[in-house]
Parts: sequence; C-alpha cells; structure tokens
Amino acid sequence: MNIRVISGLLAIIIGCIYSILAYNLPRATVGNPIAPILFPLGLGVTMLIFGIILFIKESKKERGLAEEKRKNQRKVILSSGKLVIITCLSSIIYALLFERIGYVLSTLLFMGLILFAINGKENWKINVLVAVCFSVGIYFIFLKLLGIPLPSLPVFDI
Amino acid sequence: MDVILNNLIVGFQTALTPGHLFWITIGGILGTIIGMLPGLGPATGVAVLLPMTFSMGPVTSLITMCGIYYGAMFGGSRSSILINTPGDGAALAATFDGYPMSQQGRAEAALAMSAIASFIGGIIATVFMTLVANPVANFALRFGPAEYFLLMVTALSATASMSKKNLVRGFISMILGLMISTVGLDSQSGINRFTFGVLELQTGIDFLVVIIAIYALGEVFKCFKEIHEGKKKAQTKFGKIWITKEDWKKSWLPILRSTPLGFFVGALPGAGGTMASLMAYNNEKQLAKNPDDFGKGEIVGLAAPEAANNAASVGALIPMLTLGIPGSGTTAVMMGALLMLGLQPGPLLFTQHPDIAWGLIASMFLGNMLLAIINIPLAGLLVRVLSIPPKILYPIVLGLAFIGTFAISNSVIDFYLLVIFGLMGYFMKNAGIPTAPLILGVIVGNKMEISFRQALIISDGSYRIFVASPVAIVLIILTVISVAYPFLKDYFKNTKEITA
Repeated sequence: MNIRVISGLLAIIIGCIYSILAYNLPRATVGNPIAPILFPLGLGVTMLIFGIILFIKESKKERGLAEEKRKNQRKVILSSGKLVIITCLSSIIYALLFERIGYVLSTLLFMGLILFAINGKENWKINVLVAVCFSVGIYFIFLKLLGIPLPSLPVFDI
Repeated sequence: MDVILNNLIVGFQTALTPGHLFWITIGGILGTIIGMLPGLGPATGVAVLLPMTFSMGPVTSLITMCGIYYGAMFGGSRSSILINTPGDGAALAATFDGYPMSQQGRAEAALAMSAIASFIGGIIATVFMTLVANPVANFALRFGPAEYFLLMVTALSATASMSKKNLVRGFISMILGLMISTVGLDSQSGINRFTFGVLELQTGIDFLVVIIAIYALGEVFKCFKEIHEGKKKAQTKFGKIWITKEDWKKSWLPILRSTPLGFFVGALPGAGGTMASLMAYNNEKQLAKNPDDFGKGEIVGLAAPEAANNAASVGALIPMLTLGIPGSGTTAVMMGALLMLGLQPGPLLFTQHPDIAWGLIASMFLGNMLLAIINIPLAGLLVRVLSIPPKILYPIVLGLAFIGTFAISNSVIDFYLLVIFGLMGYFMKNAGIPTAPLILGVIVGNKMEISFRQALIISDGSYRIFVASPVAIVLIILTVISVAYPFLKDYFKNTKEITA
C-alpha cells in the first residue's frame, strides 16, 4: 500500500471514530438537545464518504503504478524520515525540560541536537555558535525588547 | 470619495509614526529572509514571526505583520531569480524568465524589475482595495447567519476544489480542519467535546499552534528532503541594481495589464497568487510579438507575474478583512494574527475599529514603498542570506516556532501539539493532501458552526432557511460551480477536441 491509499484509509478511520464520538456526546440540557452534535456529526459522515472515495480511487491507481515508482516514493520518505524523527524526539525532550531547567539551557540543548542532526558533526563549531547565539539572543529580544517572559533556571535565574 | 479620503487620512495618521516605520522595516527584512529560504513562503514567515508581535499592541503588530507578509513575497522572488528555487508557489513564475536573466548576467535588472513591478502592482491594488473595501463590508452587513454559513461553505469549497486532481483530498483536509476546531468546550451548550478529559483541551486547540505547526514544522520537515542535495551558488556581487529605459518601455504596459487581473484573481477565494502570476505570464506570452523569447530571459515575463502576484496578495486580503473569510492559507494566517489580537475581521471591523482597518490599509501602502526601497539598494546585502546554508537556517526557523508558541500560550503542552500537528502536516504533504484548506477550516470552524446553529434557531430547526433568500441561493450555486468547474472545463475541452 502506498501513502496515498493509506491516507484514504486513515480518513475512513478518522471519519468513523469521530462520528461515533460525536453521536455519543452528551445531549445539551438547554435548547435543542442535539444542537451541539449536528455539526460534528455532519463533519464525521462527510469525512467518511470522502475517505471511501479516496481509498477506492487510490487503490485503483496503485494497481497501475510500476513497482519502480513505488520504491522511489518510499526512498524519498525514508531519507528525510530520519531527520524528522530526530527533530520530533528532540522537541519532546525540549518540552520535558523547558520549565524544569529554564529556557536558555533547554533551548541550547534543543538547538544543539537538531543542528548536529541536520548540519552534521563536522560543522560542530558553527553548530555550537549558532545554538548559543540563538538561545541567548532570543532570550534578550523577548525579555528586554518585547517584554515576553520566558522560564528561567531556578538557581541561577537565567 | 471624500469618505474614503478621510478614512485613509485617519489610517495614515495611525500608521505613519517613526516607531511603525521602524517595525515595518524590521518585519520586512525578517520576512524577506524567511521568504528567500527555499520552500518557505509568506505563510511560514508570518506564522513563525507572528508571536514576536504579540506584545506590541494591535496597530503596531498588524503593521509589522504587513511588513513580514510583503517581505516574504519579495524574498520569494529573490531566490527564484538567483537560484531558480521559488520561495513559495507564487514566486514560481519568477523562475521562468528571472533565472535565465541572471544567468545571462542581467541579475541586476531582474532584481530591480521584480521589485518595481511588485511595487506598482501592490500600490495600484491597494488603491483598488480602498475603493471596494467599504462597499463590500456594507453589503456583508446585511447577511444573516444562514447566508454567512453558506458564504463560508462557498469559500471553503472553492479552496478545497482548487484542482481536480486534489478535489477529494482538498475536502478531506478541509473537514479535518473543521474537526480540529470543534475540540473544546461548546460555548452555547457548555458540554465538552472531544477533550478526552484533558483539561488543557477545554479551551480548544489554539489555531495559532496549528498554523505554526503546519507552516513552520511541516514545511521544514518537507525541506529535509532536499537538504542533502547541496547548496546552489547564488550571485552575491552586483553592479548597480536598476533597469534600462528600454526595459521599462517594454514592461510598463504588461505591469498595468497584469495588476487588475492579479487583484481580481486574488480576491476570489481559493485562487491566490500562484494562479494569478501564472495567468499573467501566459497572458503576456500570448500578447507578445515574439512569444518564443519567453522563458529565455524576457523581462516582460518577469514583470507581469510579479505585478500580478503582489496585486493578488492585496486582493486576497479583501474577503478576509471585509467578510472575515480568508481565501488562502496565507490570508488565513493573517486572519489568525488579527484574531490573536482580539480583533474579529469582518464587516464590523470597518465600523467598530476604523482606525485599525484603515491603519492596516495605510500600512500596506507604506509596506510596499519601504520594501521596494529596501529591496533595490539593499538587494545585494539581503541576498547574502542565500549563501548561509539552509542547514543552519532551518533549525533556527524550528527554534523560533517553539519559542513563538510558548510566547503566545505560556504552556508547554502546546509543544506536544506542535509536534503532533507538524507530523500531520508532513504526512499530508507526502500524501499529496493540500494543507491550506485545513488551516482555513481551523480558522473559520467555530464561526461556521455558530452561524449554522443560529440559523437553525431562527428557523426553528427548519433547514429551509438555507435556501430562503436570493443571496443564499446564489451562494449555493457558486459552491456547486466551484466544485464542478474543473470537471466542466475538462468536459468542454473534450467536446471541443471532438468537434474540431
């Protein structure tokens, strides 16, 4: 199955789950009891219909697709997939540390991680420089120039 | 006419202060830099930089945003001309003749012409806008909830059905956006919808988080594909950036012709800058004496789409400002910016906050002028950014996205949402699903549902209210046409071929 067929399948699943959830929402106690449900239910059902159309269309098309092309598609997704996963994992670490160790240190770590992943180890000097300049620079721009507070490290207050 | 002039004077009084000029310039430069990054356009520029304007107050913030918006548009064509990589879809047409020009050593003329054409297109379109804004807003004041609901349906379906190939996918994207907007506490009945017991979701998913996730994270993820391809070398040393008299003689008429076209196409929901610039290009090619020169460095082929593109970007703001309904991803982001500031775009914006509505229009004049000034003498300096490898700039864009999100919501929970929606955007792009309808859905979803329910309350539950007025019927017909148009076009083409 290629990603386009999968997206049709996903749309069907989302449509189903969403419709069921919408139908099971508590009824409103004031006004028309089904008022809060109508709109979401309509969305869910429409999604289901479009999902089915897409799935059928793409399944038909996939049969005509040469194996070569399918492999190519997969290759492109895989090559960038690694960077995407690293970025997402770094982001989650970032979210976990952000309020615990303060903005400057967590951002330094986050920027360092993705810079090393994207820009490569051999450019480590530039990576460190950019990470430090970005964290400290943004901290001052936000705090001093724009007046938006960011969490600071509990002990050192930076 | 007097009313318009008075309004404009009020607008200029609001916009024309040294502080505002400073911020337009800063916004313009930052926007240009993001716009020049391959793959990242105005929507990403505004989405990433928007949180910085959060604490500025509505007028300053809007003015800065305008600077970013125009800056990103100018930036997009810089990279089209110099490295043959459009910053965004709308700058695509600038690669056709702009890049050949710079290969022939005429980069100076290309850069200057693109700035001049953009400037003229933008200014004339802004004049059109001052003329039509009030009448459209006044007309829309007469709309009831049923008409409003249908208007949103029309705008959304027009955007979703932009191309026949993507029709189904466009609608899936749109519904997904509307679904996201239903998460949270229902304001009318007080029941929790789709919150799964998560307290933070009760206030709903902030559309700004979705916007930043899709346009900053999703777009950068997409660009990872090309990141290893190596950097294209851009020319960074220039002679005098200006055009010759002959260039001007050739181009002034095409620029003037393409501006109204771009403005009109831009104002239609769903069409936007890409279509406007491509139409202008084809138009001029057909009118030209030597159509074969197009694509080989013909300056007209650069001037016309650039003028149309900027005119379209102004036209696109009309439905957003006067009706409160954005017609493209980029204007949806601009609308998100207005909503962030607590302003509801729509007909009432013009009556309740004339200073802001007209201040914004005045700042469009200023933004266009300042950017033309920045982009001609400083072009050589700005394009040095192109020699910074994207491998460093993309992480910075990511960092800005996270910090910006935190600045808006003060909540780390949104970081997780950012990752989730960023991945969703990335998946959608790989599956060929357009993201603009989703953003539109998220932005107008709440209002759409409220109008729907209000209409049903007025009609006592009867759906007949949606076909009860002439305006409603016209809107339904427009919706059907917008969805059926790509198919009809094919049908007519086929019959023509058969009869011919």
